[in-house]
Amino acid sequence: MRWTRRAGVGSTVTLALMTLLMTGCPKRPEVVETVPPPSAQPGQTGVSAAPSTKPAIPEERSPAEVAVPAPGATPTETGATPEARIAEAEAGREAAAGAQVLELKDIFFDFDQSAIRDDSTKLLNEDVEWFRKNPAVKVTIEGHCDERGSSEYNLALGERRARATRDYLVAAGIAANRISTISYGKERPFVVGHDESAWRWNRRAHFVSSVK
Amino acid sequence: MRSIRHGRVRSMRCVSGLCLVMMLLLLPVALFAEEKYTVDIVRKEAQKITIAVAGFPSLKVGPKGEDFGAQAGAILTDDLKSAGIFDVIDPSFLPMEAAKVDLGQEKGLLPALNSLKVQALVVGRLSSRGGELALEGQLFEVTKGEMLSGKRYVGDARTLRTMVHRLADEIVYRLTGEKGIASSRIAYVSSVNGAKEIYVMDYDAYNPFLITGNHSINLSPRWSPDGKKIAYTSYRDRNPDLFVIDLETGQRQKISSRPGLNVAPAWSPDGKWLVFSMSSGTGTNLFLIRPDGTGLRQLTQGPHIDISPSFAPNGRQIVFSSDRGGTPQIYLMDVEGTNIRRLSFGVGDYSVSPRWSPRGDKISFVGRPHGSFDIFLISPDGTGLAQLTASSRNNEEPSWSADGRHILFTSTRNGSRHLYIMRADGSNQRRLTKDGGESYLADWSP
Repeated sequence: MRWTRRAGVGSTVTLALMTLLMTGCPKRPEVVETVPPPSAQPGQTGVSAAPSTKPAIPEERSPAEVAVPAPGATPTETGATPEARIAEAEAGREAAAGAQVLELKDIFFDFDQSAIRDDSTKLLNEDVEWFRKNPAVKVTIEGHCDERGSSEYNLALGERRARATRDYLVAAGIAANRISTISYGKERPFVVGHDESAWRWNRRAHFVSSVK
Repeated sequence: MRSIRHGRVRSMRCVSGLCLVMMLLLLPVALFAEEKYTVDIVRKEAQKITIAVAGFPSLKVGPKGEDFGAQAGAILTDDLKSAGIFDVIDPSFLPMEAAKVDLGQEKGLLPALNSLKVQALVVGRLSSRGGELALEGQLFEVTKGEMLSGKRYVGDARTLRTMVHRLADEIVYRLTGEKGIASSRIAYVSSVNGAKEIYVMDYDAYNPFLITGNHSINLSPRWSPDGKKIAYTSYRDRNPDLFVIDLETGQRQKISSRPGLNVAPAWSPDGKWLVFSMSSGTGTNLFLIRPDGTGLRQLTQGPHIDISPSFAPNGRQIVFSSDRGGTPQIYLMDVEGTNIRRLSFGVGDYSVSPRWSPRGDKISFVGRPHGSFDIFLISPDGTGLAQLTASSRNNEEPSWSADGRHILFTSTRNGSRHLYIMRADGSNQRRLTKDGGESYLADWSP
């Protein structure tokens, strides 16, 4: 095994240093590096710890973020009656968000699709009636996806579902400025589960009242 | 086996300005590291360097009597094994007890190691003075007994792992001419606290710390090429907006917040641009923006989804996922948004999450040939399709190590989503995160 060492093409200072140092200690090269404690890092040594709850880098808080519920508490295990489970989960969500529970019907989608299904048009037509009876209320449509596929692609798919739903309502005569959209992709499933019995409830457009 | 030389050996950079000052102060013992080495230990992927680790005598100075000396040796051994280019020989093969080998005693070991065909020897020692810890490490080429590197790292108990990781990377650099991964870090999303927050941890899952902390949804962290910033999407202000945080100052800036999506960022190799997806008309299209939020420029148009971009290391092309052909597939385009062509064929109806390799020769992505998701490689010219994972559950979100030898990914093979690492040929798949919540959307630092 052979190795060679050549002086680099660094600055003249480097070359001068090298000459000096190589004559000084040719056999025991030693470089000292100081390893400063990282300022943002908690002092955990030797033990793999769970992520700490305390932000290492303080985050400026915005008033809005308080109203965003933590998703961890929302999903429930798949049970016998998904509707009941969803309603229960939803009650907790809306209470946490301080938002009004709407009587609008959610609609559901096929995998990787954003087309309004035939079985959804009846529900959406009922939603249109609700909008007409509640002309002062502004609504946000959340687009959601099931757990399959990439988080990033599903953000765009959820956006498309929310917009398709909005477009249907606008085409039916509801003022566009009453409806905003937001996609949560697959980040906030309503039913936790790893098969179609859960997935079918998670591919949906969901109505919440817009918070000013 | 020792015939090919490394064509290019990068010159080693000083770690920091502080380091430079320290070295100038310590002239009598310091050898400036601005040198080039040509080491003709040849390594193909399957051909590993046999290395022995000795020294690291007991040093029980921890508050609970922990043996930091032995810990340092164990961390170094783990690092060398994780590097994927070494066979680390079992200490029982050494002619004397490994912990009894002190610095300067390597000559007593070398002949025996040479007869065992061991190629390299590391002798290390940890010492303490007050609250300070000093790690010394010497690397020897066994046949000639020459010292390839001698380094001393000064820190304390909190930085012990970091010091050992630096020594491991020094060893990798001296023997291969390439940067190691032991000092690298991983940014990822964790649901351990209920919300979806971004954390950064060491490459071996130690020392996780929180980057966001807004109790909302935070996604898609991406390291800047200099490792000093992270771009990410946050729902903090009730819309998926694009942020950049400076890890040194802690300052974070919202750089894109158009109503709708501002998601899935990727840095250009020179760090001057981010490419990301934004809602546009009835589609989700790719845009360029500067990290300070200026210079917005649309790259793709149309009512389809263009998402998850990744720059080629030469900065001239971008790979991304798009459903413009009906189902999500992998596409390439020039950085101006022109010359769009499909890359993925024959891996099912759902191909997403492409990442260009640091060497530029491969693109990793996720395909779904038979119902579950797996990680594939393909060359940018469309040849060389290879499947890296095959488990009954899903394997997704590949991210390359800076040396291109490893891939970080998310898998549900043990239930909920956690992070795993494998060699870039799909071998040696192992779990990285083990804590309570889910961990996903990881990005490996430069």
